[in-house]
Amino acid sequence: MSDLTERRKTIIPQANDTWETIAARVLPEQDTTEACGRLQSWNLHVFMRPAAPEGSPRAGNPILPSDIIFVEPPAAA
Amino acid sequence: MLDLIIRNGTIVDGTGMPGYMGDIGIQDGKIVATGSIDDSATEEVDATGLTVAPGFIDPHTHFDAQLLWDGKAKPAIEHGVTTIVPGNCSLSLAPLKAEHRMKLVGMFNQIEEMPIKAFEEGVEWNWETFDEFIARIKKGLTINVAPLVGHSVLRLWVMGDASMERTANAEEIKGMQALLEECLKAGAIGLSTSFVDMDETLQPVPSRYADQEELHALCEVLSSHNKILQIVHEFYDADLTVARIDQLAEISLKYKITTTFSPLFVNATEDDSVAKVMARVDEQFQRGARVWPQVQTRPIDISFCFEVPSLLFIRLPSWYQVMRFGTHDEIVAAFKDEERRTQMVAEAETMSPLWDMLVLRQVDSDANQSLVGKTLAEIAGMRNTSAIETMIDLSLEEDLQAHFLAANMGHTDNAMVGELLANPRVHLGASDGGAHILSFSTYGDTGYLFSQFVRHCKALTIEQAVKKITLDTANIWGMKNRGVLKEGYAADVTIFDAEQIDRGDEYYTDDVPGDGHRYVRDAIGVHTVVIGGAVAYQDGEYTDSARGSIV
Repeated sequence: MSDLTERRKTIIPQANDTWETIAARVLPEQDTTEACGRLQSWNLHVFMRPAAPEGSPRAGNPILPSDIIFVEPPAAA
Repeated sequence: MLDLIIRNGTIVDGTGMPGYMGDIGIQDGKIVATGSIDDSATEEVDATGLTVAPGFIDPHTHFDAQLLWDGKAKPAIEHGVTTIVPGNCSLSLAPLKAEHRMKLVGMFNQIEEMPIKAFEEGVEWNWETFDEFIARIKKGLTINVAPLVGHSVLRLWVMGDASMERTANAEEIKGMQALLEECLKAGAIGLSTSFVDMDETLQPVPSRYADQEELHALCEVLSSHNKILQIVHEFYDADLTVARIDQLAEISLKYKITTTFSPLFVNATEDDSVAKVMARVDEQFQRGARVWPQVQTRPIDISFCFEVPSLLFIRLPSWYQVMRFGTHDEIVAAFKDEERRTQMVAEAETMSPLWDMLVLRQVDSDANQSLVGKTLAEIAGMRNTSAIETMIDLSLEEDLQAHFLAANMGHTDNAMVGELLANPRVHLGASDGGAHILSFSTYGDTGYLFSQFVRHCKALTIEQAVKKITLDTANIWGMKNRGVLKEGYAADVTIFDAEQIDRGDEYYTDDVPGDGHRYVRDAIGVHTVVIGGAVAYQDGEYTDSARGSIV
């Protein structure tokens, strides 16, 4: 997509991705807890999602394989 | 001798070319002559002073259930619509195994706000496969139907409960490919998927558990049949929308298919968001991708009463939980419980000043009739309380049968909406016809297009507006031989008064199975609608014609 103008960077999660695995992959130089916090604040559409029920394979992890995950903050207004 | 001749109308033929005076001759469901016709016909329609256009095509509907008890999809036809596309947003009623019926009903109830009782009393469940569903709705069909197959139901069929928990394995993906192939061969016009919707337990619908491999595998099947992919995306966020546009463009280029996303709204609080989205659409079209944004004509109005869950409250958990899962008595109890009421009022204050602007639309009691038509701010002023407290009090006084209207919630800037509708890379759609029946009327967007954006704002000429909802739609969706008034094309014709056509006022009616209600609008200025070569609607009355087909 080299001929497209730059847009806010995103990824699509890999199988069984969590905030921690994404943080390790896209923000490797940062402390994991801080990196997760940043990712969550950039992705409120995922972070604020209703929790999966107890016993669900997704319990404790709101990330879906079809999600778009931002890996940088929004552009300044 | 022809079957039908429409004489002396101004023919706006769907191509965008200037209208011209002439006749249309119809035989065996097809247009056989245009211009001046000397022949005679079994039936003639005098279109003097009227506009004669191809039948309008509505590409984003949820008439799936209604088609099972109403082959006319009322009131779509009287608004000039001759072809509808149901099955959007990952939800279709087929293919569907018997054991999954109530699960799908739950999803339709949550996402499209279709009453469960309407399914219970209006639907005879006598199909499972897509082919069987098509055979079922063909009986007594007046309107043409171009059905999508829903990604969520494909997953449900192949994976069962696991479709709502995990990604598919290779074997399951192959199963979905084979099933999609079967549906396309049976008449599906394409595949719909959703990246945002939640089921009746407020968990993601099955399509959202699909990974890229699965989506691409299904698009490979679409590619082999040259069929369309429709998605509902994270429309509330421009950056997410742009990311989805790129995802769709990649699919469109790789598989050489058309894609469309809906809805795209003009948001008054983020006035650069549409420009950002359309800039990306332009870039992707310039690369050769086909990524059509769907834009609706009407502003967003939402009506509600607390008897049924309303999506208006979805961002207020303490309200939505009780509306969604509570019984009538539990909702009343929540409003009467001082502690819960205090919490709910505090939570609702985060959405002020919405509540002040709500209008009391309908009540049962005589005592409150004089308040109908007033805003909650006005009523609250009379009662020395707040709008939110007034909303709760009125609901209790009316045993939850107080109906409120939140009007003009968005998509209201006619200049911006008009400019968007006129953009050649924008596709008119997203009416949601047949859905959200207790929240707003999803009918009349076609009349509103002409009254607001042709006559009032002059954002489009009548020829451009007709083309948008006829030939453009037919081309985008791959509907062959439709959308133009030309020899050899299907005889779907809408005849209307260009100076009068509009949507009527929204009103509440009770024509839904299971003693159900819905909001509808009558049409204004639509004279005659011909479907499959026969008059289906004329002068305010439906005929007995049943010439609808699967497109």
